[in-house]
Amino acid sequence: MAFKLRQIVFSAGGRRIARDRPLSGITLRLGRGADSDIQIADLAVEPQHAVIELASANRVTVRATGTLGFACDGKTVREAAFDPATPTEFRFGSTSLTIARDTDGEVLIEVLAADTSGEAPDLVSEKARFSLGRVMLSTRTIAWGLFAAVLAVFLALPVLSHMQVQGALPKVADMKAPGHVTGDKAWNPGELSLAHHALSNRCEACHVKPFQSVRNETCIACHKDVHDHAAADKLAMARGVPGTGEHLLQSVGHVFGREPAGACTDCHVEHQGARPMDPPRQKFCADCHAGLSGRVAGSKLGNAADFGTEHPEFRAWIVTNAETDARAPVSLADHPREDTGLTFSHKIHLDKAGGVAKMALTLGRAGYGKPLECASCHHRSPDGVSFQPVTMERDCEACHSLVYAKSGGTELRLLHGNVPQMLVDLSRAGPVPAITSGRARPGDFSSGGVYGARFTPAGGTVASRALAPDGICGECHTPEWRNGQVHMRPVRQVTRYMPNGWFDHTAHRGTPCADCHAASRSNSASDVLLPNTASCRSCHLGEDATKPKVPSTCVLCHSYHPSDVAPASARRKVEADHGEEPRRGI
Amino acid sequence: MASAASRGRAARRSQPAVTQHEGFLRHHRFFWLKAALVLCALAWLGYALIPAADGPYGGTWFGYVLGTTGAGLIGWLTLLGIRKRTMTTGRWSLKAWTSAHVWLGLSLIVIATLHTGMRMGLNLATFTWALMLIVIVTGIYGVIAYATLPAAFSRSAERHTRAEMVDGLRTIDRQLQEAAQPLDAVSAQAVAAAMAQDAFAGGLLRRLSGSDPHCATLAAITMLREGSNQDASLKRVIGLLAKRRAVLDRVRQALRQRALFEVWLRVHVPVTIALLAALTAHIISVFYYW
Repeated sequence: MAFKLRQIVFSAGGRRIARDRPLSGITLRLGRGADSDIQIADLAVEPQHAVIELASANRVTVRATGTLGFACDGKTVREAAFDPATPTEFRFGSTSLTIARDTDGEVLIEVLAADTSGEAPDLVSEKARFSLGRVMLSTRTIAWGLFAAVLAVFLALPVLSHMQVQGALPKVADMKAPGHVTGDKAWNPGELSLAHHALSNRCEACHVKPFQSVRNETCIACHKDVHDHAAADKLAMARGVPGTGEHLLQSVGHVFGREPAGACTDCHVEHQGARPMDPPRQKFCADCHAGLSGRVAGSKLGNAADFGTEHPEFRAWIVTNAETDARAPVSLADHPREDTGLTFSHKIHLDKAGGVAKMALTLGRAGYGKPLECASCHHRSPDGVSFQPVTMERDCEACHSLVYAKSGGTELRLLHGNVPQMLVDLSRAGPVPAITSGRARPGDFSSGGVYGARFTPAGGTVASRALAPDGICGECHTPEWRNGQVHMRPVRQVTRYMPNGWFDHTAHRGTPCADCHAASRSNSASDVLLPNTASCRSCHLGEDATKPKVPSTCVLCHSYHPSDVAPASARRKVEADHGEEPRRGI
Repeated sequence: MASAASRGRAARRSQPAVTQHEGFLRHHRFFWLKAALVLCALAWLGYALIPAADGPYGGTWFGYVLGTTGAGLIGWLTLLGIRKRTMTTGRWSLKAWTSAHVWLGLSLIVIATLHTGMRMGLNLATFTWALMLIVIVTGIYGVIAYATLPAAFSRSAERHTRAEMVDGLRTIDRQLQEAAQPLDAVSAQAVAAAMAQDAFAGGLLRRLSGSDPHCATLAAITMLREGSNQDASLKRVIGLLAKRRAVLDRVRQALRQRALFEVWLRVHVPVTIALLAALTAHIISVFYYW
């Protein structure tokens, strides 16, 4: 009973060659060392790796003697005992040993060294290993991969998604509806304006059909109350000839079914950033209004291209006849005279050294206490944009008292604006002596130079005296006699002289009134005290103006779509200047 | 005058043809550089002078002109990939074509950037522009690599060819296999690990670095040198390992050079193809959601 060693090698042709050798002793040393019974020239094997012992006829033990173990039937162990009747395979490094009882009764150890013969090294393929191709995907694979990925994510996904939902889209006007198209966010060239920002995830709300530009009808679906600027035929006539580039763009657009010039999107350009939509640039107005008179025969509008350089003089809608309240636009260049129905001198009232000033200083109880200024008589409208009409009771009567007599401790006062009542009241009172207050007033008004309203100048009837040019009524008003009846010429006060333009006093509240209104030099109520273009240009120039001028595009004062409210951009400018949150409404 | 001029021409014709190498960058006295500069100047002038009511962006008429020019250029530049496979000479020689490719490609930085109107965002348009910049930057790198790296190749090639390096490594390993037999288990394992480590392993970054922070050969040398019993066999193994390491260093330097030379094209070409896809999607999307 002993061991027998069989070493298996392969010839160059692949033929298996077995070399048998008997081994003496029942204890065998296995290792890389030269003194081993079974030597394995493998650096993964220890010099003294293991001992194989024939413990009895039916029992072989294998025991590791170094630090490393070995594999027994695929399992790493340090010791194994088995009956050689059943072949058992061991692995030391890359060498495998099969231990089994041979037909002659001896225990056969078959050693099969790893196939290290190999083939001749392929230097060509070894050289190729220097190329990056061995560690990276092939250029072609990456290229096609990226190509497919980019097209899938940025084109196929949104297009397929859009095709799926077409026809089942909610109404555009539903701002809160969720988006239905997937993947089209990447197509957004820029943020939507604040007004439309809620539609940011719903591109399909405006871009309804593929390859079709945003239609006017889509805008009008929400913006129902927007009026046309002018009749379509006039607009077409007014439109200037576009430059070569613009013409090219329009022609290409036309081929692709874009709406002709004048579409909403021509002026209102979206995707310019998450802020209030930029007001249309003056170019959009100048396209028609520069040289308009040459294209639209009979137009009363002057040419306008830039407020600073080409803009007609303002035309104020003044009252031409106070009696009939007829009004007409008259250019400020033509020195218009207005029929206000009133006799009034701003100069006298604003003279800081005159009698009015003296009176205002003295009249502490009415709240003046100082010479009159504009705000003494002119009161802002509630919205701050314009001014309320001047009223006798509130704004004049503190000085121009209508008290004509005293009865006991009560002052009797004429009712302003009611001529018949005035006549009755004065007739009843009989001759009224001038009411004297003891307050000195310059001028020859009553005896002794003492203040007193001339209710009853010498001579004539009571009524004719009050209504005389130097009477209490005639001081400011113009009475007329018709068929024996007195008729007071109506007073007309205009609160908005330029209905096609917009001016907001709030935006100018840092500017003294006199900078624009030459009231202190005006001796007549017929003077139209409006500033002209030259005056406005001291601050406002066209949209390309630089500091310290205020760049002013057309839409600062004008609204393309006629309405009674301020142009959106003017509104926003006021809001922004006063630190208010811009409004986002339609 | 006329006869003098014709004599001059005749004299020039009679001169022997001088063949002097002229790189593709300088081709035809920098003709394509000049062409690219003119193109950029025109684009810039148009951008600066043509008024755009809502500020410059790709949707103005000049924006469309720039965009169309840019897209056309990108398409043509991509054709070099096909054109380079056919070598010809003359006016439209491959060299002329390459020269135009480089200079007109660079002009895209100006043309496409002006097309954007400097409006960038997280969208397909900017993505396309960014892909284009990646292609151009890798292209610039490629030109520099072509100009400088071949000289470095030949310097290193004077010492060892790739085949020599691979063969040298194999020879040393064979010697090591035998020389390490007397070593103890731990030392033998270190040597085996050094031999088992693939000199070509590791990804792109490893190759570009030209070094291996986990070099098993270096680890084996360090370990064996620390051993107390420095007998002759151990010294022999250490000597062989040191030789192995020297060869490995050469291999790594060669890998690095190769990687530096090849890497740009492996980005340039796939990103170009991705750019074509992005450009297609960009153009279609603009008109799809017009």
